[in-house]
Amino acid sequence: MSIISRQRVRHWRKTLVIFLAVVGPGIITANVDNDAGGIYTYSAAGASHGYSLLWTLIPITVALIVVQEMVARMGVVTGKGLADLIREEYGFRTTFILMGLLLAANLGNTVANFAGFASGMSLFGASRFIAVPVGALFVWLLVVKGTYRQVEKVFLAACVFYLAYPVSSFFAHPDWAHALVATVKPSFHFDAGYLFMIIGLVGTTIAPWMQFYQQASVVEKGIKVRDYKLVRWDVIIGMITTDVVAFFIIVACAATIYTNGSRSIASAADAAVALRPLAGQAAGILFAFGLVNASLFASSILPLSTAYYVCEGLGLESGLDKRFREAPTFYWLYTGLVVGGAMIVMIMSEERQIPIILMSQVANGILLPCVLIYMLRLSNRIDLMGEYRNSRTFNVIAWTTSIVMIALTLLLVVSSFFPGRLPWITPQSSGG
Amino acid sequence: MIYFTELENLPVFDVKGEFLGRLFDLGVNPSQNNLRVATYLVRAPKKKMLCITHEQVQSISVRSVQTRVPADQLRDFAPDEGLLRIKKDVLDQQVIDVDNRKVVRVNDVDFDIQPTDGYSELRIVAANVGMGAAVRRLLQGLAAKHNIRLVSGLFSSKTIPWEFINLIEPDPARRVKLRISYDRLAELHPADIGDILEELSRDEQKAVIESLDDETAAQALSEIPTRMQAALLESISPEKAADIVEEMPPDEAADVLQEMPPEISAGVLADMEKEEAKEVRGLLGFEENTAGGLMTTEFVFVGDTATVEGAIAALKNFEGALEWIHNLYLVDTQAVLTGMVPLARILLAEASTPLADLAADPLIYLPVHADQRDVVDLFHKYNLVTLPVVDERCHLLGVVTSDDVLELMVNRK
Repeated sequence: MSIISRQRVRHWRKTLVIFLAVVGPGIITANVDNDAGGIYTYSAAGASHGYSLLWTLIPITVALIVVQEMVARMGVVTGKGLADLIREEYGFRTTFILMGLLLAANLGNTVANFAGFASGMSLFGASRFIAVPVGALFVWLLVVKGTYRQVEKVFLAACVFYLAYPVSSFFAHPDWAHALVATVKPSFHFDAGYLFMIIGLVGTTIAPWMQFYQQASVVEKGIKVRDYKLVRWDVIIGMITTDVVAFFIIVACAATIYTNGSRSIASAADAAVALRPLAGQAAGILFAFGLVNASLFASSILPLSTAYYVCEGLGLESGLDKRFREAPTFYWLYTGLVVGGAMIVMIMSEERQIPIILMSQVANGILLPCVLIYMLRLSNRIDLMGEYRNSRTFNVIAWTTSIVMIALTLLLVVSSFFPGRLPWITPQSSGG
Repeated sequence: MIYFTELENLPVFDVKGEFLGRLFDLGVNPSQNNLRVATYLVRAPKKKMLCITHEQVQSISVRSVQTRVPADQLRDFAPDEGLLRIKKDVLDQQVIDVDNRKVVRVNDVDFDIQPTDGYSELRIVAANVGMGAAVRRLLQGLAAKHNIRLVSGLFSSKTIPWEFINLIEPDPARRVKLRISYDRLAELHPADIGDILEELSRDEQKAVIESLDDETAAQALSEIPTRMQAALLESISPEKAADIVEEMPPDEAADVLQEMPPEISAGVLADMEKEEAKEVRGLLGFEENTAGGLMTTEFVFVGDTATVEGAIAALKNFEGALEWIHNLYLVDTQAVLTGMVPLARILLAEASTPLADLAADPLIYLPVHADQRDVVDLFHKYNLVTLPVVDERCHLLGVVTSDDVLELMVNRK
């Protein structure tokens, strides 16, 4: 081997080592994004509209990458979390309001995930009155006892479950040509159900917690500015993974539930039908396993990270390395979200949960535009970002993305007040 | 006592009672007086920013500020790096509370109105980080001031006297202009400085480390995770990094250099004193998870025929940190390890006692390539404080100390 190529090999090996050290925030964010709400929404999209919504995944992926790349870059360059930056640049009141909204939005997300956990466990025959408290206690102990870091790898490994969808699609012999054309060729129907579904897909895929979470994890990893390029790959790979998973869930559901079935999903058992070509009678168990894993993964991360940002933004002590006495607000917030989320799922009937999920959708809907606008302004600041501030081309893409996202999110808020059209939050009601 | 939340947005009038604008920010000029508000920034109509100096102020109250000069004598505000601005540089920013050894975020700033020669002056009293101050920020401008005082009084108040506040300014030139020094911070225990460093972003860490003396910086750095140490040392100049690494215990220096990209660690090593660099280089060769990767080369050894007198002479000549010397090591003429003598035994023995008579029995040691788990097991089993490490021919190479083992255990958890 010549000297140059040997050096190149060494260079590549070194890059790979650094990449493995840097990788994580994007991929974890992406996998948490495929939580119970995500799985149900993609299933419903495929079940009710076949392949015709696949084209939305490409713009969604671009938007996700643009937005998440921006926060990751801010995290690397400033070494500060998004809540910290907003507090330092926009003051206490703004931060307080945003944190209040984040709290409300993520309470709703936690509820949705415990509900997903309950419906997954119902396929194993467990009552939600037993499953939910046990699940909540498990998550709470996992995090408070500090074993989360190890279990995170288990959650991540269990995400291999998503491979079941491409395999199942393969066995179901979908119309691949049709599916691929539908992916690249936008089609549009002015039918209310179709529009609602698009809004739902965007809403469930791009959520405000992701920006806070990703920036905080990039900061926590202490990634050097020099390694920033690798962070960008982490984001790109992660976000593409999310949407590849979404793609196969939609295709699998389109090839099964849409083609031969009821075209609607009223329960976890209905959604599991998509896995029948692969798993046959065991489809329910396979689906339940994936749903339970996704729900637990998200319910470990969301309440904890919410407690972090709220405390950091407001300048209160936070962190699991502190004792309860030192950081009471932090622990109360975390415990409150877990216990509150679990209680709501246990005590309230699905109809009664609707106002809470509605509130969370509205909070998300107000929060996302604010976060996007603050983010865009911060990432253009020369004193914060220096040479890493947005380029003009990037700004054009980012502002366009944000404006479309804001419009769709506001539509989502409005549409939330028509609960009959909400397949992505209450799968039970979509049949009607 | 008056709060910044109450001062902000106050109407400002000139000597003739003409409305000038609203109070926007307050500036202190630390090169003249680090407590007195030297400049009042007033946002005038048409986006103009006026600048009133403290000599031009007549009176200050919760209702208004009045100047003692007419409007036409006031100049426009020109940005000034030497001015510490309360709203821009202090409010909502992280500062170090030196007294409580913590990083806090400022919610409000407390002032005193001081009459001087018949005029009023504002003096900074404290930074406010309590819940009460947070409530004031939230309600500011939404309710009458006395009502806000009433409500915020229901919540806890936490103030830090201004002299205990250490601001963090990443720009070194501005640090000089604002007279920010970290003398008080440097007096804290290195472990506390380390905790504070961990709370800061990299630029802020850099600001603190650059202003500490090399020895304090090295001790504080040793208290933060190795990855963070490496990232921080990479971001400062190689000369300064070399000065700091020289002051670190050789094993920690080797750990942090191993964490850096080779081209940078080579630069740091090149800038270090020859003696220290050689010691650290020797340690760099060992695998990370072996006894060799854990050991330090700072230890005291004497020939095995020496007496207590000789041991004391060796200790007097030792240049490293004495507080980590718990045992002395005995070697023969071939540098082969033959014994270990606890310091306390030397203390109690006659000057003429041969050290070999005081050696601990049995002698416990490990080969340099032994797994770290074996190191931990030996420390646990024999209740060790230090453990000598040898090569295949039993030459003494270094010593593992219990602090390294403890760190290993804590990190593994």
